[in-house]
Amino acid sequence: MERQRLRSPLGRAAGLGSAKEGVGHWWLERVTAVALVPLTLWLAASLIMLSDSDYASFIAWLKSPFVALSMLLLLIALFTHLALGLQVVIEDYVHSGAMVPLLVAMRFACVALAVAGTLATLRIFFGD
Amino acid sequence: MTAQQQKAARPHVDVRATRPLSPHLQIYRPQLTSVLSFSHRLSGIVLGLCALVLVALLIAAASGPRSYNALHAFIQSWPGQILLFAGTFAFFLHLCGGIRHLFWDTGRGFELRTIYASGWTVVAVSVTLTAIAWIVRSMLSR
Amino acid sequence: MSTNCTVPGDRQQFILRCKASPLTGSIGRAVIIRSSDQVPRSTLLNRFPVPRNLGVAAGSRIERGRTWPAPAGAKRVKTFEIYRYDPDHGKNPRLDSFEVDLDDCGPMVLDVLIWIKNKVDPTLTFRRSCREGICGSCAMNIDGTNWLACTRFVSETRKRATVYPLNNMRIIKDLVPDLTHVFAQYHLIEPWLKSSAPAPDRERLQSPEERRRIDGNWECILCFCCTSGCPSHWWNADRFLGPAVLLQAWRWLMDSRDEATGERLDQLEDPFRLYRCHTILNCTRTCPRGLNPGQAIAGIKKMLIERKSL
Repeated sequence: MERQRLRSPLGRAAGLGSAKEGVGHWWLERVTAVALVPLTLWLAASLIMLSDSDYASFIAWLKSPFVALSMLLLLIALFTHLALGLQVVIEDYVHSGAMVPLLVAMRFACVALAVAGTLATLRIFFGD
Repeated sequence: MTAQQQKAARPHVDVRATRPLSPHLQIYRPQLTSVLSFSHRLSGIVLGLCALVLVALLIAAASGPRSYNALHAFIQSWPGQILLFAGTFAFFLHLCGGIRHLFWDTGRGFELRTIYASGWTVVAVSVTLTAIAWIVRSMLSR
Repeated sequence: MSTNCTVPGDRQQFILRCKASPLTGSIGRAVIIRSSDQVPRSTLLNRFPVPRNLGVAAGSRIERGRTWPAPAGAKRVKTFEIYRYDPDHGKNPRLDSFEVDLDDCGPMVLDVLIWIKNKVDPTLTFRRSCREGICGSCAMNIDGTNWLACTRFVSETRKRATVYPLNNMRIIKDLVPDLTHVFAQYHLIEPWLKSSAPAPDRERLQSPEERRRIDGNWECILCFCCTSGCPSHWWNADRFLGPAVLLQAWRWLMDSRDEATGERLDQLEDPFRLYRCHTILNCTRTCPRGLNPGQAIAGIKKMLIERKSL
């Protein structure tokens, strides 16, 4: 296959120019990471304590305001961090036309999961 | 035809693109640097799947005792326990690796000796914390 | 005993490193790498357990080449497996095995290549110049990691040593990579002093403290060992600038005489040009000059944060 490449090496390296953005993503990933350190440790410890509990004790655990708040904060931070991390992974490995649809689908999935988790937590917290 | 003859025949074709690409992943030596970085990424993806399971757990609990007990029973089964074990190891690996990354983000810890020392520390601490978590869990269930 | 004098990437003074460290035992030396000139010792895993042709285009697949036996009467013989590619015959690259008479050639891998070219196969093609680790011409992948052939001892290589060209580069012939693109990326960061103020009547002054800020960065010889060893550059060579270029970008950001810091940061702040770096740190591990591109890139990211409102 012949490839017509008449652009100079410098032109090719320059591409479409600098996007002049990228700090926001980097910073948000670090902020969510710092938030997730205590939140995930709390979740891990709680789940270990709850590992043999039945349905009633799990519901009672989630009905505590502290627990519900921590769970909501965890869901927000976790899915933000996950979306940012997976975005970087997809950008690294996928270069075909599939990259943009994949990025959008991944974002939608993270939002949907976060909202679903939030709804479930609120239902348990406010329910009877 | 030599490369020069090719170029003379078709001046608009970039001969650079016809050259072979030298091997990279296929022959590069795995080192603590690259292996730990890839493990950090892999553990992150595994934790993404664990996040899915967390949401499933919350939805199951919100839906009533039947769905919660079904999911709980799966987690307690041996395939579920294997996945849980992998998930806890991935969690501690990503947590310790993440703290190492946050240190780097402050600009510290880039001397080679520190890179290697902190890298091995991450591995050791992750394995230890996973073991502790599972020992505590098994003690609690008695 | 052999000594290695290298310039560390962090701002320490020149230090002489002795092969036998009095500080730790042999396990400590193997497990905690103190400087990039320490050759990896573990034989556990020499390459990632992936198929040899994973993701390799048909024209780049390496075939088995011929074996060149040692000359008669050679006592100390060592086998070197060397990547060969001949653009004049249109065949695939191959791996030739050369049995080298170590008593007849010098101690470095470059000496072996020169011996092979002189005595065995004159078509073996490679770049070389200073033979002392300062020009960067003979950068290549030896036993799976990138280093300069002229400063790698044969005694430090594996039993069957492997010599490949720098990774993920278009190969002109044998061990000679086409560095056009990486030099174009270097050109892109405008590695020269930029000032908008009128030129001073005398030289541009710089305090010793300001001058020290470019130490660990100006010593780069642009051998591209680091860039070709960076997995992020493997996956995104077209858009990610790579550690060598980013180290030089940092050198110009750190130079107090340069007045275009803001513009340079604008040009670097891009999800691909800079932020494909995920701090893998293969670069710092492999630098033959002991420099620290990973640290420089972290410095650039910190500088970008500093000018933002968070």
